[in-house]
Amino acid sequence: MRRLWDIRELSTVVILVLEIAFFAWYLWPEGARSHPFFNVGNALLVLKYSSIYGIAAIGAAIVIISGGIDLSPGAVIALTGVVAGALFVDGHWSLLASTTAALLVGAACGAASAVLVVIVRLPPFIATLGVMGIARGAAFIITEGRYYDLSKDLPPGWRLLGVPLDWTSPLLMVALALVFQVLMTRFQWGRAVSAIGGNQTAALYSGVRVGLVQASVYLISAALAALSGIALAVVQGQGKADLAMGYELDIIASAVIGGASLAGGRGSVVGAVLGALIFGVLRNALPQIPGATFYDRLIVGLVVIVIVVMDQLLQRRKGTL
Amino acid sequence: MKRFVCLAIAGLALACGGASQAGPGGGGKLRFAVIPKSLDIPVFNYAKIGAEREAASRGNVGVIWRGPENADQLRQKEILESFITQHVDGIAISCLNGDFLTDTINRAIDVGIPLVTWDADAPKSKRMAFYGVDDLAAGRILGEQAVTLLGGKGKVALITSVGAVNLERRLQGVREVLARHPEVTIVETYDIKEDPVRCAEIIASATNRYPELGAWISVGGWPVFTRNALAAVPPGTKVISFDTIPPAPDLLKAGKVQVLLGQKYFGWGSESVRLLADIKAGKLPPSPIIDSGVDVVTPANVDDYVLAWKALEKK
Repeated sequence: MRRLWDIRELSTVVILVLEIAFFAWYLWPEGARSHPFFNVGNALLVLKYSSIYGIAAIGAAIVIISGGIDLSPGAVIALTGVVAGALFVDGHWSLLASTTAALLVGAACGAASAVLVVIVRLPPFIATLGVMGIARGAAFIITEGRYYDLSKDLPPGWRLLGVPLDWTSPLLMVALALVFQVLMTRFQWGRAVSAIGGNQTAALYSGVRVGLVQASVYLISAALAALSGIALAVVQGQGKADLAMGYELDIIASAVIGGASLAGGRGSVVGAVLGALIFGVLRNALPQIPGATFYDRLIVGLVVIVIVVMDQLLQRRKGTL
Repeated sequence: MKRFVCLAIAGLALACGGASQAGPGGGGKLRFAVIPKSLDIPVFNYAKIGAEREAASRGNVGVIWRGPENADQLRQKEILESFITQHVDGIAISCLNGDFLTDTINRAIDVGIPLVTWDADAPKSKRMAFYGVDDLAAGRILGEQAVTLLGGKGKVALITSVGAVNLERRLQGVREVLARHPEVTIVETYDIKEDPVRCAEIIASATNRYPELGAWISVGGWPVFTRNALAAVPPGTKVISFDTIPPAPDLLKAGKVQVLLGQKYFGWGSESVRLLADIKAGKLPPSPIIDSGVDVVTPANVDDYVLAWKALEKK
């Protein structure tokens, strides 16, 4: 039982289950009506929208564990959606070619952050703030206020490798979370990321190639944000410069409520995905509560604080056991 | 040295003066600044086209199109102030918040820059003219269309984005009409915060909550700016929305939307430039409020509307 409780993600799972249970109870329907929240269709809806944040939150968590921060995911999501849309709609490229090119553009944003952090030695906050501005600006320059309607050129009922469109991004999120969880916990690279976040100097003296590992986390973070952008563009059907405005904060918050410590060295990619789901459930359930629409930002803010405080108390308690 | 400084200052002054005469196209063109609410709202791209077409047809007018990247009131005010400082020959602005911009608009008029508003007005300011829809009346049309489609009874949910004065006015118009029909109840007013992704998410989630919903009424075009936002809406629920830019007519033809209210998107730009050019020539409009009217698009006239739209695009 003690070992089970030591699993880092368990407290996040408990919070998510409690949240779902609360809304299932609060939104319990009258009479014989079907439940508006606790049903399979709605669960898919939560997964579909959460995956846009969740995929990017995996990268954000890795950066935070390494002791850095990435403010560019929202802008990279928008830019990749726009690039994919421009090439697919205006350029008449195939969907595969246009999304691959968009992914490369996203990776280039990550490479720019990596160069600024590792070689130019800018603080990650400043470097990724700059990349955020450049990526968002580039998206505006490409669109000039227009948007690219990908959905009109996708045949109705279109599936990706036989998977319905709505399922693709949730499945991608789960697959990526599992892959990166294994990479972070079972591979030397993952341990190096945590070591750098815990104590960069000690990691350096231990033979960790700090610069290379740091560069890799920014590259991965941007590439994952690019995948989110592609998922958003394909599922939403639109590439638009103002999409995902402010999402970087929700993405970082997902990683933090999933257990990532902004001081570095601690966190989990599965936790980040669970964090994105906690937000997803809130975003889904609040519109179902009459009058809650104007309170959702306030509630989300409170939830972040409560969860992080609870997590800190739990960690202190564990430390004293 | 003193002589050099004086010459330098004189040179700079001449350069500044010359710049205000030359404008973007040079040769003494009039420089009109056209400011949308935001660069990221698709409808404004048509206003830009309209303004540039009108300017090109006049020959002696250059349009400077600049606005905030997103719906940021302070950024819009900063842009307006920068054009006053540049002393452009005229300003046409769609106000995010007319009251917030009133003092700045008055300052532009006081320093002799003609200023007109389009799409969203600043009625308490000294602006010389406004071109756009009467938002209150347009809101009433939305409400009346909903009541007709619902047969006078049912539940409706409203979609808005809190903060813009013109959207508030439309919402007021909708509520006025619905209040006259006691059997029509508003179950919720959703603030989608100008985010079309959030709009789609809310529509899907609220459809679970209110499967028996009679109608969605949107005072902005967010549900019809994308093809997928209304995917979760069941066939029995009506959708009445502002804005008719593509892909909205396709959604109407597909039966996902029942009524659309279109504005004079190209006219926002072209009429604003025409008004400013007339004012510069000493010709004031007969009335400061120029109601552009709205296009009510239904399945009955959508084909004609699409043909007219294509003609406008090709013009």
